[in-house]
Amino acid sequence: MKNIFLTIIAVLIVGIVSVKAQNKAKIQTDTIHVSGICDMCEKRIVDAAYIKGVKRADWDKNTGILKVVYNSQKTSISEIEKNIAATGHDAGKTKANINDYKKLPECCAYKEVGIH
Amino acid sequence: MGIVLLLTIVDMSWAQNADTVVTNNNKNVKGYIYDAVSHEPMIGVTVQSLNNTYVWVTDFHGYFNLEVPDTVKSLKLSYLGYETTLIDATANDTLRIYLNESKGINLKEATIVGRQSNTTISTLGIAKTEKIGLGELMKAACCNLSESFETTPSVDVGFTDAVSGYKQIQMLGLAGTYTSFTRENIPDIRGLAAITGLTFTPGTFVESIQLSKGAGSVVNGFEGTAGQINVEWFKPFEDKSPQFIINGYQSVQGRSEGNFVANHSFNKRLSTSVLLHGRGDFKKVDMNNDKFLDNPLGSVFVGANRWFYFGENGWEIQGGVKAIALNTHGGQFNHKKGDEQLSGNSPWGYQNKTDRIETWAKIGKVNLETPYKSMGLQLSGIYHDQSNQFGATPYNGNQRSFYTNYIYQSIINNTNHIIKMGASAIFDQYYESFKTVNFSRTEIVPGVFTEYSWKHTEKFNLVAGLRADYNNLFGTFVTPRLHIRYAPTQNTAFRASAGRAQRTANFIAENMGLMASSRSFLINSRNFSSITEYPRNNYPFAPEVAWNMGVNFTQKFMLNYRDGTFGLDYYYTDFTNQVVVDIEKFREVNFYNLNGKSYSHSIQAQLDYEPIRFFDVRLAYRFYDVKTTYSGQLLEKPLIASYRAFLNLGFSTHNHWKFDYTVQWMGSKRLPQHYDDHLKKVVVSGKSPSFWLMNTQINKSFNNDAFSIYVGAENLLNVMQHPLIIGASDPFGNNFDASLIWGSAMGRNIYAGFRINIAPKNKNN
Repeated sequence: MKNIFLTIIAVLIVGIVSVKAQNKAKIQTDTIHVSGICDMCEKRIVDAAYIKGVKRADWDKNTGILKVVYNSQKTSISEIEKNIAATGHDAGKTKANINDYKKLPECCAYKEVGIH
Repeated sequence: MGIVLLLTIVDMSWAQNADTVVTNNNKNVKGYIYDAVSHEPMIGVTVQSLNNTYVWVTDFHGYFNLEVPDTVKSLKLSYLGYETTLIDATANDTLRIYLNESKGINLKEATIVGRQSNTTISTLGIAKTEKIGLGELMKAACCNLSESFETTPSVDVGFTDAVSGYKQIQMLGLAGTYTSFTRENIPDIRGLAAITGLTFTPGTFVESIQLSKGAGSVVNGFEGTAGQINVEWFKPFEDKSPQFIINGYQSVQGRSEGNFVANHSFNKRLSTSVLLHGRGDFKKVDMNNDKFLDNPLGSVFVGANRWFYFGENGWEIQGGVKAIALNTHGGQFNHKKGDEQLSGNSPWGYQNKTDRIETWAKIGKVNLETPYKSMGLQLSGIYHDQSNQFGATPYNGNQRSFYTNYIYQSIINNTNHIIKMGASAIFDQYYESFKTVNFSRTEIVPGVFTEYSWKHTEKFNLVAGLRADYNNLFGTFVTPRLHIRYAPTQNTAFRASAGRAQRTANFIAENMGLMASSRSFLINSRNFSSITEYPRNNYPFAPEVAWNMGVNFTQKFMLNYRDGTFGLDYYYTDFTNQVVVDIEKFREVNFYNLNGKSYSHSIQAQLDYEPIRFFDVRLAYRFYDVKTTYSGQLLEKPLIASYRAFLNLGFSTHNHWKFDYTVQWMGSKRLPQHYDDHLKKVVVSGKSPSFWLMNTQINKSFNNDAFSIYVGAENLLNVMQHPLIIGASDPFGNNFDASLIWGSAMGRNIYAGFRINIAPKNKNN
């Protein structure tokens, strides 16, 4: 009965240890600017940032800064930028295609802000 | 709402008066301000420090760049017709701020929302509070308040007895009656409905639940020995509240439910909600073949309507009404409503009819010039009437209650020192008749209170409260309470609380489950049947008084780039007096004042971690040591599991599937003296076996959560207590007992349902 819980804890610990070992791989942290406005944007941007090799992505709505932690042997910052830009958000040096931008939900249309 | 505002103010960090600043390091706070709806830049917005020393007005691009001393932690943004907003001025980055048009609330924290797990425990806030959000509530797909705690390790849920279908909760190993329940900080199910009242709040009405263990704030009263559970309903004026929710549920055990919630804002000031719930049980289910229905048949209807009005000058008014009509009957399989209850004549039956009306109002005022000054008045009234029949035993109860609470809040020098004070009054009138005995009493309890909150940097705060109340039956009593929080880092918090709580036990209503037995009821060892009329207001016991002390530790961590929380808490409750419910002798229940010790120790450890994105794991383990002196003997409280282990796994996918799985292990419980049907003799004591319970649910939502369907299974292993009812073959005989419940009274249940969630028209964020 309690054994099952102990097993689960053991599995978790093993998982953590194996992950620790993996940390010797090239883990890199970068910050890039991603254009967006609202909470919906945050979800879109963070979802798009999580490609294979990405450990963690946090986007700050107020500053537009995306902090991304990734394994540089599996992916690169330009890959991540490309994937985000494909959802319509300008990411770092990679600008979104105008057709992708037009597909953004109303509240995420960041280019309309400030034109008026 | 008034209270919500007050709490918001408490949580804010305010700048000190500039006069007191000695060092003068300056910084620049800069950014752009936009309209939250149109996203257009806003020209002419006033940006100022809270003491009005430093002021800037935004330019054509909505831009501001204000030089302020380092000590200024926040800035106030104001613009006619828009909500006055406080912003954090500690960031170095260029800010982008979206201002909302005013709804009359003039002070609102700019919200920052990330991905939140379904239950959150914060390191901020003076008391450790588990916030149970919508995601968690959806895991129990149908259901009322009692059932919504089934995925919460801090709360144990169990049946009161095997016939009525009511579920009760326990916190810290103490009955649900020791927990104070509030709806948006107004006392909700006090008195006769303390146990059964959880059924009267349908889960679909609920936006979130806050649960905290141990002593609460004196502002909300002197009750709440084990903790507080506050329920927030959907608020019609909030942007995130859906316009409509329609929810349907059907289980194979014959339970059908329908819920409807509508939110509507007429304009910026006036808004309303209509909330409806209907439940019907039409199918006779007897999964353990004991010739008793596992769940009663019948219907429950709940309807509510509430209104909000935000006036000028910081006034806000809200009011609501809720009505409940419950009509159920159960018992032996062949029992029909109205059957005469005589031995040998007809099947044993159970009937329950409850009508209840609650009405409440809140009036709040925030001073616009000095937003740290505010006041609120809460009013509520309850009419409750119930009639029950357990076999040949009738029980009727009637309650009329009125409650009012006035709170004034201000500061001493600056907002690091907040003082609240006020006065409250409770009026409770009870009429009860049980078997041949009538009870009635009227309690009037006026009281005054004050509470001081001191905040020293972000790391330390303290809340000390004191109240004095006068009870017309028991005299004056004083309730001190203290909370301390120390957070050495942003991710670590130590908290401690201590306080006194008092309540008057409605010992008959709270132990209604015991009526589903042939036990005779005794007061101070004197049989009820020898009492014909209890003199009015001659309450046979002293009020229940307990002291609660608790410490807890919360640590947030990041492991392998994923967030997690670890929590450990310990609570100790010591009863000075308790109305002891003694079921140690089979065939009787004896109520008397505590003579000796009665206490509860509770230790709980909980780990929440997201090892993979979108995969949440919650592990919890808890230990109780609950003992009470029964006729001079200190014994473990019966029917309480000392150990419980809990695992919840939640997984969601990008294409909106959600999978949820809960397994728990319930340790063995002590059984009091009882008759054993197999051995055909009385067993002096015993232990129930430990058992596993598993629940699972799959949810798929479409079109941005506008429509979702779910299927689930409760008690997947089909583990049932055997025998559930002692003496089931002869319910009018001496050995009948349907109240010794230690396990699940219902077998495996499969259910399915849908939820339509129509988002508000102006969807932002």
